[in-house]
Formats: sequence, structure tokens, C-alpha cells
Amino acid sequence: MQKGHQHPLTQMISEINSIFAEIGFVFAEGPEAETEVYNFDRLNVPKDHPARDMQDTFWFRDDDVSEPKVLRTHTSPVQARFMESHEPPVRVIVPGKVFRNEATDATHEAQFHQLEGLYIDKGVHMGHLKGTIEYFFSKFFSGEVEVRFRPSFFPFVEPGVEIDMMLKGSDSKLANKWIEVMGAGMVHPEVLRGSGIDPDVYSGFAFGMGIDRLAVMKYGINDVRDLYTGDLRFVNQF
Amino acid sequence: MLVSYNWLKDFLGDSAPDAPVVADLLGAHAFEIEEFEQKGEDFVIDVDVLPNRSSDCLSHRGIAREVATLTGEVLAHDPFAKKPELPQTDAVTVDIENSETCPRFTASVFTGIEVKESPQWLKDRLEVLGQRSINNIVDATNYVMLSLGQPLHVYDADLFPKVDGVWQFGVRTAREGETVSLLPEGGKGDARLIELLGTETLVTDKSTDTPIGLAGVKGGTFAEVHGGSKNVIVEAATWHPTITRKTARGLGIVIDASKRYENDLSPEMPLYAQASIVKLIADIAGGTFEGSIDVYPEKWEPTTVSVNPEHVNALLGITLDTDTMVALLQRAGIAVENNGELLSCTGPWERTDLRIEADFIEEVGRIYGYDHVKSVLPEAVPLTQMNMRHYYSEQVRSVLLGAGFSEVITSSFAKKDKIKLRNALASDKGCLRSTLMKNINDALDKNVGFVDLLGNADTRIFEIGTVFYKNDDDVAEHVSLAFGLRTKQGGYNPKDDKALGDVVASLEENLGMKLDFTIDKAIAEINFTNVFEALPVSESYQKVEAAKEISYKPFSVHQHMTRDIAMWVEEGTTVEDATSVLNAAAGDLRVRTTHVDAFTKDGRTSLAFRLVFQAIDRTLTDDEVNTQMDSVYAAAQAQGWETR
Repeated sequence: MQKGHQHPLTQMISEINSIFAEIGFVFAEGPEAETEVYNFDRLNVPKDHPARDMQDTFWFRDDDVSEPKVLRTHTSPVQARFMESHEPPVRVIVPGKVFRNEATDATHEAQFHQLEGLYIDKGVHMGHLKGTIEYFFSKFFSGEVEVRFRPSFFPFVEPGVEIDMMLKGSDSKLANKWIEVMGAGMVHPEVLRGSGIDPDVYSGFAFGMGIDRLAVMKYGINDVRDLYTGDLRFVNQF
Repeated sequence: MLVSYNWLKDFLGDSAPDAPVVADLLGAHAFEIEEFEQKGEDFVIDVDVLPNRSSDCLSHRGIAREVATLTGEVLAHDPFAKKPELPQTDAVTVDIENSETCPRFTASVFTGIEVKESPQWLKDRLEVLGQRSINNIVDATNYVMLSLGQPLHVYDADLFPKVDGVWQFGVRTAREGETVSLLPEGGKGDARLIELLGTETLVTDKSTDTPIGLAGVKGGTFAEVHGGSKNVIVEAATWHPTITRKTARGLGIVIDASKRYENDLSPEMPLYAQASIVKLIADIAGGTFEGSIDVYPEKWEPTTVSVNPEHVNALLGITLDTDTMVALLQRAGIAVENNGELLSCTGPWERTDLRIEADFIEEVGRIYGYDHVKSVLPEAVPLTQMNMRHYYSEQVRSVLLGAGFSEVITSSFAKKDKIKLRNALASDKGCLRSTLMKNINDALDKNVGFVDLLGNADTRIFEIGTVFYKNDDDVAEHVSLAFGLRTKQGGYNPKDDKALGDVVASLEENLGMKLDFTIDKAIAEINFTNVFEALPVSESYQKVEAAKEISYKPFSVHQHMTRDIAMWVEEGTTVEDATSVLNAAAGDLRVRTTHVDAFTKDGRTSLAFRLVFQAIDRTLTDDEVNTQMDSVYAAAQAQGWETR
């Protein structure tokens, strides 16, 4: 029997998990039908704050839920859930499906996969964030990688940064140029406090990136929608 | 926001770095630069101002201040350097119903002005940013907003009824069903009559209680300034961020003004804007400035935050001495008092984003430069927890891949199902799937025709994904595992069930538990959450093989064609030999050759192949494929092989 083909996203998630497991990051998960509280409030996204513009959200009908719920717009709610149920130190990654109510095209799908990372301990600083991301990409792309931070804003981190990476010296198409790969930052004290962690004792970083985008970078996929069509002409290439 | 470099120079003076340096500095330390373009004598920089900085940086003064912070210079000309003092007028009154909705309302009265074309310099300023010049008065309000960040609105004073010699402004919450006539979008087209929900804040003509403007969002047609206007009143107010945002989003009117209010514009700003427009109107429209009124019930008080220098270094992962930190903060206009252990920091009034210690730490980090942050890999620690969903998914995957199944991830949306979304993306995506069976069935139907193209014997597909349904008055979800197969191209065949049963049996054997699959038309589905929760917890993950080097190629969506060839070959001819001869003759349109059959009879060997042809850009015709096959036959015959 000829072997079947594994979907590139689950291949990448396995690889991501094994890279992070080596340094002790636990693969955590949470519901895709998430409460408004975890998806927004607990992440310091105030009601009606413009930051909510960044996410156009699918909402459940009141009749179907016991409290307001959404299809999670990011994997970040799992941060809050995990911090609540675990004492620091905390090291987790959260790969998972997320949803945005937006028009689709070759680079946007209403459903896609995100990778969240969270590290909380005493004395965690931005250098740890840089080191962890460099470690991950150098393993994932099998080469020397440099990352840089640029200021950004996400309500659940402060300072917030956009991270660019550069694959160095390889002959890959990606090599030797800065590529914007993820948003990240130091976990906002309100988010820590809201999850029962004392921000005067602990600090941490969080990052989030699109796994679909990683697939585009790694394999040169030209239309992210192909990831979700169930078409073997696509899957069998992997 | 589009920024003119020449305009920045008005504030920066001689210390202005070259335009490309400005763009680079901002990009590395403040905001993403979307575009940088030379336009005539000027450069236009498209700066993606972050939401938390929209209160101070959606303006040329704000961006110039940011550049000065980054270069360590001071602004050569800063309109915020000194608090303006404007003469008062008794000719205007303002009645604010609820000061929370309107912390400040200012208005200035001008008489004897002349509405005319704007001077060339002003037209140029607006034009380079893609803004249309209307007349000197409207342009002046626009100019001040782009310059300082404060929106303004202008009324024709002669069209605004006076009672006892006084213009009476009111500010109140709208009443449900009330209407207001708004200026047309972008200054073009017809005025729009808007029916209100009762949540909006209104500016009214107090004397008649008539709504004359939708606060923070859009001015009304009431007392609209026109070519013959002689006397005007200019309003500059501060509006509640959330109310403004709700009103603007609700009506779908998101314009420059509302975007600024939504992000908590400082109530200190209106006075500076009035001072600026007083000067500008005198310059370009003449007339007399009669005075201003300033109603400021909710006076802003600066917030002072204690910043611990140890926290700064600890969070950023750097080692700055306190004096350097203080100097960096001061560059951003932050007042710093060093109390020995702590720094008392007060942001400039226009920076409404500086509220907690971490905000000030970010200022130190980004001004100093994040390139100073050195990489540190956290020391490896053992895993404290295993993800059994992932562990057993991998195990099931390995069994199914081995049995020839390929993995798909299909849409979580469904046309019709148990859980309907409040806001659907499209009519056929209004619900969430409660089962994977339908998607697996669709995927099988879609792919059965591709077996030759893909070189498969049959079609086998699986998915592990979340399904949604209702349970105890709440939406519930679990991970589902489903797989299905089709041995024939014609669709489901009862024989498929036997093949499927074998796979179920091998999964049960592999996991060591009975699996209670629901099976329909050779598609099996099971609640996988129940399965892995019943299985033992493992100590470690299986090793993951390094990913293969794959270069993905977009696949053709056009129909493929198949042709079979069988031939007698001489003894000793291998399948590989035959394949390479056929492939060489078949040309570039051949996408696959599958060896389908071989047998030996009477000392002769027969080999059969299936060739698949497909083009990336079109559907091939029979003639095209036949021409290719003619060369294939010719090549075989040239080898002395007898085609059958």
C-alpha cells in the first residue's frame, strides 16, 4: 500500500511542538468556541476599544450559549486559561485554529492556524523572547537566524513588538532579507493580575504568529485557501 | 497617516534629518512605514500610526515630536511649548448636559472674514497629501487638524440664530428617533438625514434644541459655511472615545475626526488648536477675531507614575544606568524626578497612552533601541505536561498514513447544521459543522477523479478536527476523527465497507481499545476526545522526522487525460528502462506515468503503463494528447517493442 500524505499544517505543528518541547514548552489547548471574557476581556481588550477593530469576530447566537461566545479570533485566550490553572513558571505553546470574519483571498482565510507562545517566570525579559524566537526559527528553517524587534501595539502586552527574522547565508529564497513574522511582547501586568499572577514577582513574554503564513514561507504555497479545500492535488505534494 | 516631510520641517527646523533617515528612524523606533515617496519638492511618508499613539501622532506636530525624540533634538518650533491665552467672548454660551460625554468645548468667533481660494502654500500642503482644497476657511480647519491632531468645525454665524445677542450651543445625548442632517461624505454629494438611536452625543442649537452636529463624527448642514460667509464660529471640542467610536461604527462613518477622538484625544488640545486657527484665519481670511469661549468642566490632571529603574532593565533585558534612562525619557518630553530609588515620570499632556510603569519602560526600550537587547535562550527544562490529544493524533495519523490515507483539514463552517452563527461570512457558511462526515464525503467526491493524476489505486482521506453542537443550553465541541475511502471512481461501492472495516480493525489493534465508530457509506467517524481521554498518558512524544525538502508547485485546475499503453518487450527490459523511453517521447504535457501491469507468457514479457497528461493553463484536446501518444508509440516501436 502506497503511503498517504500528511497535511502540511499538522506536519508543521508536530515539528513546532518537538522544537519547543526540547526546551520545556508544553503543548496547551483551549476551546475554539471561546467566551467573550477569555477572547477579549481577560486579554486587556477593553469593551469597545479600537483594538477590537483588529479582529472582526464571528459571534454565537444568544440562544445557543449561556454567556457571550465567539469563534476565538486568536489562540491568546489559552494564555489566560493556562495561567489561571497553573502556577508559574509557565512555558506553553498553543497551536490551533482561529477565525476572523473577513473577506478571503490568496493571503487571507476566515479560518487559519495560529501559534501562541507564553513564558512566565521570575526575571523573564525581552532578551529571552529574542533568544527563544531565534532558537525556534533556526531549528525550523535549519539555518542561522537573526531576529529584530520593532515597536508595535497589542493590548495584552507592554512593551509590544513586531518581530522580523532573517535567515542568514542560506540559498533559500527567504535568505538574507528581513521578513515580518509575528507580534509579541512582554505580558501586560493587567493580564498577569487577571490570571492570578503577581506582576511584581513574575514577568513573561508572549508571541503569536500565523502557521499558515509559515507554510507560505516554508513551502512557497501561493494560496492559503488551498490548505482548507480537502484537495489531494494539494495535500499529495507534501 | 500620510505625512509631508516639508511640513515636519516646519517643526523640526534645521535639525531635521534627511527624509529617508526620518522614515528609517520612525520604522525602527516608532511606527511601520507603509510607503515612502518623493512628490515634487516634497516627500510623502505613509506612517502606520499605532492605535495607542493615535491621540498624539495622527498629526505632523506629533510625528515631528517623535522624530525629535529619536534624534535627541528639541523641536525648533513647537506650538505646544507655551499654553496659549485667548481673549474671551460673551457672544457664545455652551450648555453641556453631561460633562463625561464632552470634557471640553471651545468656540471662537470671527467677523468680517473673506471666504476665498486658499493661498498656494496651503493648497500645496493639502494636495501633496491627496486632500482637495475647498476654500480658505474649510482648508484652515483641515490644516490645523493635520498639523496638531485636533478636529474643528466651522459655522456661518449669520445662519446660526442669536438669542439676546448670544449664540447658544448645547451638548446633549440624542433622543431615539430624532434626526440630524449631516454634511455629505467627503464634501461631495447630498446631505444625509440620519435617524438617531439615542446613544449618540449631539451638538445642538440650544435656543431651539435643534441637533446641528453628530459630536466627534460629522458636522451638520446647519449654518454651513459658504462662499459669501462673513462671520464664522469655529468649534474645537473633546468627545468621549467610546461614544464617538460606537456612533461612527454604527453609521459606518469613520473619518479623520472620529478616528482621533476614538483614541482618547487630550482635552488640553482644543485651546492650542484655537490659537493656531486664530492666527491662520487672520493670515489667509482677514477679518477680526472677537474672542473665544472655553467650557472645560472635566479638567485634565497629569498622571505621575513611579518607575523603578531596576524594573526597566529587568523587563528589557538590558543594563542601563539610571541617568541614561532619565535622559531617554526626557527626550520623549517626559518630566522625570529622580527620587533616589524610583523615578517619578509624567508624560506630556498629549500622550494619553502613558499610564503604567510598563508604558514608560517601553519608551526607554524603543528610544534606546531594541537592537541593544541581547538574545538569551531560556535554559531547557523537562516538560511538565503532555498533550495526549496531540500524542494520540500522531499515533492515529501514522496508522492511517500507512494505510494509504491522506490528511485533509476542511472548513469548520457548514451551510446548514445545529449551531448557526450570528454573523455569517456567506449564506453557505452560516453554521458550524457538527460532524466531519459530510466534509469527508465531499472531499472523496472531489478527489475520486484524481486517482490517475495522483497515481493512487483508490481514494482515502482522513481528518482530525473540531465539531460543534449544543449541549445543556450551551455550545459544546469535541475533537472528531473521521476517515473514508472510495475504491471505485463511480462513488460509494458496498465493497468499500470491507476495506474500511480492515482499517478500523488495525486502528483498534494499534490503540488497544475497541472503537465505536459511526459508519456510513464507507466513512467512519468517532468522538476522538473520548478516545484519547480513555487511553493511558504517555511520558514523551514520538520523535518527529525532519520535514522533507519540498518545493510546492501550484497545481493545474484543468482536466487531465489518461492513455494506456501495453507492449511486449524483450527479455531483460526493466520497468524503469521502459518508463524512461516512454516519458522521453511523451513530452512536457505528461505529468505522470504509472506502471499498471506486467506478465510473462511464452518467453515474452508484457508491460502496461498509464500515462496522464495535463496542462497548467488549459484543458487539453484529444488531438493534442493523441499527437503525443503517436510519438510514444513510435518510440516504443523504435525499441523493437510490439504494442498490444
